Amino acid sequence: MIASIFASRILNDLLGGITAGVVIGLVALSLVLIWQSTHVLNFAQGAMAMFATYIGMTQLDHHLNYWVCALISVAAGFVLGGATERVLVRPLYGKADINPIVVMVGFLSLLEAIAAAIWSGTPRFIDPPFSSIFFQSDGAPTGLSPFALFQIIAAISVMAATALLFRFTKLGLQLRASALAPEVARLLGVRVNRLLTLGWALSTAVGAVAAVIISTGDTGLYPANMETVFIAGFIAAAIGGLESPGGALLAGVVIGVVMQFVNDYFNSGYAGFVGVILLIVSLLIRPQGLFTKNAQRRV
Amino acid sequence: MIGVQNLSVSFGAVQALRGVSFQAQTGSITAVLGANGAGKTTLLRTISGLIKPASGDVTFDEKTITNEPTEDIARMGVAHVPEGRGVIAEFTVEENLRLGALASKVNIAEGLERQYAQFPVLGQRRKQFAATLSGGERQMLAMGRALIANPKVLLLDEPSLGLAPLVTAELMGTIKQLCAEQSLTVLLVEQNAKSALRIADHAVVLHVGAVVADDAAAAVAADTRLRQYYLGLNEQ
Amino acid sequence: MNFLRQNTTTRRLVVTVSSIVALMGLTFVVPPITNSTLTRGAAIVIAILGLNFLTGWSGQVSIGHAGFMAFGAFGTAILLKHFSSLPIAATMLLATALSALAGLLVGIPATRLSGPYLAGMTLAFGAAVPPLIQNLSSLTGGPAGLQLETIPTAPSWLRSLRHDTTSLITVNAQWLAMFSLLVVGVAVMLMSNLHASRTGRAMRLVRDNDVAAELVGLNLPRTRVLAFTISAAYAGLAGSLMAFTKGSVSPQDFLVGLSITILSLMVLGGIGTISGAILGGVIYAYSDNFLSWLTNSTGIDPYSNLGSNLKTIFFGGLLIVTMLTAPRGISGLISKVFAKVRTSR
Repeated sequence: MIASIFASRILNDLLGGITAGVVIGLVALSLVLIWQSTHVLNFAQGAMAMFATYIGMTQLDHHLNYWVCALISVAAGFVLGGATERVLVRPLYGKADINPIVVMVGFLSLLEAIAAAIWSGTPRFIDPPFSSIFFQSDGAPTGLSPFALFQIIAAISVMAATALLFRFTKLGLQLRASALAPEVARLLGVRVNRLLTLGWALSTAVGAVAAVIISTGDTGLYPANMETVFIAGFIAAAIGGLESPGGALLAGVVIGVVMQFVNDYFNSGYAGFVGVILLIVSLLIRPQGLFTKNAQRRV
Repeated sequence: MIGVQNLSVSFGAVQALRGVSFQAQTGSITAVLGANGAGKTTLLRTISGLIKPASGDVTFDEKTITNEPTEDIARMGVAHVPEGRGVIAEFTVEENLRLGALASKVNIAEGLERQYAQFPVLGQRRKQFAATLSGGERQMLAMGRALIANPKVLLLDEPSLGLAPLVTAELMGTIKQLCAEQSLTVLLVEQNAKSALRIADHAVVLHVGAVVADDAAAAVAADTRLRQYYLGLNEQ
Repeated sequence: MNFLRQNTTTRRLVVTVSSIVALMGLTFVVPPITNSTLTRGAAIVIAILGLNFLTGWSGQVSIGHAGFMAFGAFGTAILLKHFSSLPIAATMLLATALSALAGLLVGIPATRLSGPYLAGMTLAFGAAVPPLIQNLSSLTGGPAGLQLETIPTAPSWLRSLRHDTTSLITVNAQWLAMFSLLVVGVAVMLMSNLHASRTGRAMRLVRDNDVAAELVGLNLPRTRVLAFTISAAYAGLAGSLMAFTKGSVSPQDFLVGLSITILSLMVLGGIGTISGAILGGVIYAYSDNFLSWLTNSTGIDPYSNLGSNLKTIFFGGLLIVTMLTAPRGISGLISKVFAKVRTSR
């Protein structure tokens, strides 16, 4: 009896951790996409996704359907990402590391403040389109709800779609070429500048999917609501290797599960520190990331 | 037809090209010769728009293209095979070829077939990563990738670099054949003056950024002074 | 005055001491509110000096310095809770050492990373500190934080120097300003010596060229860890000064926003310069005054959503514009103007 309660608690945490982890993986993927194409670590990524989500989800006030609002959010992310690359990031290519870091950190605080100025800092709660009551198994909750299942499926679908786009389409081929060998790509007539803009647009759209998922349900939508998950996403990307989308996803799930267990068995205040320790340990084991194939990396 | 008029390029205090002018005629091979540092690579990079000149112009079929961006110049039909070939090692052979065709209106399947027919070894290795190819195979791939878009001009930067003499000879034969079949304008930058002069119709010799000879290939090849001082070809 | 030209260390000492003495003299005549404003900026100057040492002089960047400030501030409060008779200077030193130790522990793995990775890791660290403090409530007082057992109060000589009509609050505010000026003076002095020292030159070499630094036989990882540790120590000192001048510490005072503020002020003032750090502190101290001027002159309600976020919007935007158009900040602009004046003569 005690064993079964214990087992169900572990299962609960595991499923809850995976649910949170796929979203962390999505944030990590979004970071990796930008890193691969432009070698900028986008510190404003979470804030940009949050902002896009506000643009879409405040349309609920105009009695639009949840799905329409979600779609607007993703489209807003796409536009915001592309515009950001054009205006803020383009002048920074080839500059010292610190320049893009500072600009993106400035953009992060600017976006959060503008969001608070327009929509106030009070969280808005968005009803999930599916029930968030856990499925029952033998009268005990499983840690997985229909909405959580939707989160997992949505996150994995977005990741799979991104992977397919990059692997099998003409656009993906050009995006990869622009990232790997921009000069060669230009010599072959590839409009590299446009593709870098598109890369930022796609990445921010992916980030917006994560932000829509996070903002729906208990967490709520507020200007700083992506900060924690952004940091977890960065840790996942760094552990997985900023060159490896699959690694970033896997690392995201691991971090989600570990943090869930820390929350449940210790204290939620320690989760952030555990993340830092995970990062340190993984970097000490393998500085180039745990899932990258080739050892060389521009760290 | 592609040409440059009074082209000057500087890198800071260093003048890499000093008032270079010449024309390369359609359906012919023009060899650009000279020692290391003569400005040959800079010349090609300026023609394809990767470097913007301090003064002077690049013209392509009577049109000035000096200030066009690289990707637009490529789309006009100027294919540049860079030094070291620029094959994307992380891509498969076929992905490299596809990339070459994307910016043009060419039917990709047909284009692939044509290149596999031209370079059978690429067909055999179509699913392999370019990283696994030999130097000669990489050169074939780079050429195939440039040719798949049906260019009008082919800029080749040191294609023989690092290749065995036999492979070089074969490659030069292919270049000659392609030039004739597709009436290409070929600009062939080479340190290996001997191989280049064997197939070229015309030759331009550069010395520290300036043109010292611009004549028929046979005439350049016959000029003992040029051979000795600028081309490093010893009399035998 | 010939000795000033001969010995740079002596010159720096004379310049710093005389400026501090002059500023301390000013604390007698300026209104009490100015003294409080100066006090507020002092801790920030020290924090920027610390970040500057890391970023400007060794090329690394941290977005987590508020975490180290928290170590200094809570270190101070906790020490005083258990040893209330500990002298203020000793408490500050111990708190600074605690923060340096934290810096060393984070620095050893972090400095193996370059640029954006290091920045990300410091961000993760900085964000993890406040929740950690909140949950170690038996030690740290939890979300409410701690009141300091001892705070600097004006000594009797200062009280007797001022007229009897001057209120004790005013005299205490003046004393805190003097105390802060003294700490800032010492911090600036040490930093400028460090800048001129072999270590300082080594750091700049590491920033400008890794390969060259290795060629001249510098131990790169050790130099980076050292820079990180010194930087964290300065942040700790800043936190400790903040605790003493505020009289209380709370985890809410050390959120990621503070790290970003310090980074912004460093860039605005001018990366890698001591004058830039001081400018940054002055900007911080007067930012609230500036904000009320801004809301007054634009008619924005300071308590509206826009009004309460105006400061961050303004400084966030200014940071981006500065980095894109004048990355060397205000002190860079000033020296550019000076250089122009000099050449035009």
